[in-house]
Amino acid sequence: MKTNNNGGNPSIRAIGYLVLIVVTAVGLWEIASKFVNGPIDEGTTQLVTWGIWVSGYIFFLGLSAGSFLISTLIYVFGVKQLEEAGPAALVQALGCLLLGGLLIVLDAGHPERMYMVLLYFNPTSVMAYMGLFYNVYIAIVIAEIYLVMRPGFVRNVQSGKRPTWLYRVLSLGSTRLDPKSLIRDRKWLMVLGILGIPAAVIVHGGVGTIFAVAKARTNWLGGLFPLLFIVSALTSGGALLTFLTAAFSKLPRERKVKLVSSLAQLTIGFLLLDALIMFADIFTTSYTAIPTGASTDKLVLYGPYRWIFWIAQVALGLVIPILLVVIPATRKSLGWLGLAGLLVVIGMLGARLTLVIPPQITPLFDMSLGVYNHVRYAYGYSPSVSDVLVILGAFAFGVWMMLGARKYLPMDVEIEQGAQQGGQVTS
Amino acid sequence: MSNPEKQMGRRQFLLAGGLAGAGAVAGATPAFAAEPNSGNKPAIRYGMIIDLKKCVGCKACAAACKAENHTPPGVAYTIVMEQEVGTYPDVRRRFIPRPCMHCSTPSCTIVCPTKATHIRDDGIVAVDYDRCIGCRYCISACPYGVRAFDYGHNYHESPTAYESQPSPEYGRNKKRSLKGNRSPRGNVRKCHFCVHRVTKGLSPACASTCIANAIHFGNLNDPDALCTVHGEKLRFLLATRHHMRLKEDLGNNPSVYYLT
Repeated sequence: MKTNNNGGNPSIRAIGYLVLIVVTAVGLWEIASKFVNGPIDEGTTQLVTWGIWVSGYIFFLGLSAGSFLISTLIYVFGVKQLEEAGPAALVQALGCLLLGGLLIVLDAGHPERMYMVLLYFNPTSVMAYMGLFYNVYIAIVIAEIYLVMRPGFVRNVQSGKRPTWLYRVLSLGSTRLDPKSLIRDRKWLMVLGILGIPAAVIVHGGVGTIFAVAKARTNWLGGLFPLLFIVSALTSGGALLTFLTAAFSKLPRERKVKLVSSLAQLTIGFLLLDALIMFADIFTTSYTAIPTGASTDKLVLYGPYRWIFWIAQVALGLVIPILLVVIPATRKSLGWLGLAGLLVVIGMLGARLTLVIPPQITPLFDMSLGVYNHVRYAYGYSPSVSDVLVILGAFAFGVWMMLGARKYLPMDVEIEQGAQQGGQVTS
Repeated sequence: MSNPEKQMGRRQFLLAGGLAGAGAVAGATPAFAAEPNSGNKPAIRYGMIIDLKKCVGCKACAAACKAENHTPPGVAYTIVMEQEVGTYPDVRRRFIPRPCMHCSTPSCTIVCPTKATHIRDDGIVAVDYDRCIGCRYCISACPYGVRAFDYGHNYHESPTAYESQPSPEYGRNKKRSLKGNRSPRGNVRKCHFCVHRVTKGLSPACASTCIANAIHFGNLNDPDALCTVHGEKLRFLLATRHHMRLKEDLGNNPSVYYLT
């Protein structure tokens, strides 16, 4: 709705910006209120302790890790047909990482104490490692963005593009554009990419492991989750990149179609693998019918989460995108391919919700808790208004970041002659 | 008894070593190995023996716990789980009082990112309110659902005498603020076997209060220990009565036994 910034009706655009500003303001207000009042407005309970903020966190972190891993296809493995999506993939990795970080910090009861994870690091805690590698990973992504955009920044400083001060700051004083410097950039990109692969896998596979080792929840427990998280990261990262490239890239049309259809095919490949793992997971828990596991499947397949599962995950997120990428009438169309990407992202958001929330709903004992009628001990989970507003706010921040990046950052870097040679030299 | 305990110790040790190795954090393993049950048996391991044949489901333990620890609404340390079995006229109600199990190999302490929740030398699993970031990972990991997050609710809109009383938890006599987000608001809270009473030689409030003398408390690692409330020999109770622990197959090694 807020995505048509190239051309289009000015009044629609004005409405879009108005909605965006309102959602952003409300989101900021709710975030501030969380810091002042604490977690009292959250919709989670003593049983369902992780709600839509944690779902949102793994959604954004997945997008980030996936986008980053796709960028390594370019900068480490030299996949030339994706080359032009590189800068966007990295910017997307950073933006989603920041949004994920925002949500997980807010989800903590004491956000101001997050540094204690590093200070009092618990070597047996998967979450502590995730905190550590989150920081390593964000540093790598920022460094890669610098390297990939440095020539663009330098060129903008030289051509006096406004705001010049911004490009001067962002270029960190670098002025070189000679082939040698580009080759050096490319080499460092490769090194950082190689370091970044384990970092991204540890961060997002690690998040999967956080769930996989939570002993109390049968549907999380087990070896599939870390794998599922990595594969769905790649799926959602590829899907978002497909959508954003189709919608915003300023490449010439022919090259853009080629790039978007490569991205879409890659995404569908990951999506099929993701669906396979998902199926294996649901099949085994349903088949073995151990009550704690099967009850979650019931909630997802026929219970209150069935709409999210069948409509968002299966119809929108799986069947329609595959058809769009396969059917000859749509597979060469930027609009349809972009839509396929967006639908996969929506499906992933649904998958995050059904992955996080239903496994916590079934009580740990088949007995009534007896004493307690308090709302925090109630059965089930529904997010509070404040929870939803913060999520919407996060999406609005994401749109701002995207608009800002497209406006100010050199996202469509032409393949540098020197860098291309450099790539061949180093590969 | 001792064999599984040893196995758990080794497993946990390996887990710690593996994770530490993965992160290349030197010196991490010794800190973990110093935990009670990975080597020799610690001298003290406080535990409870709850006689389900005596429990009448009056929930006095839950009320005593609330009064003792000044827990806010939506936070319960001990509760009495109940279930109706059978159909009329062949029907009965089952009750299981459920404090924290104070596991010897807890699943909460290994997942806590900041070591805020930790196992003390006397086997009590405690929470450091100043270190807990409120991530609630321990709640997700605890198979017994004994942990509660303090969302910040109060019983009354404006402070009452009850709500402005300091809580004796962990011997800190801390007043819970009525607004804002100061600890223990925004922390995970749990049963701590009334450690402030136990260190003074008293028994946990629930055990002292129980009208049916169903809750026994004492040092399970001392072969001669007597129940600190009623004076029965703890080892004798376990040796002569059928007993079980909750979800024993998960390997958490709980310190709460139920006589059935």
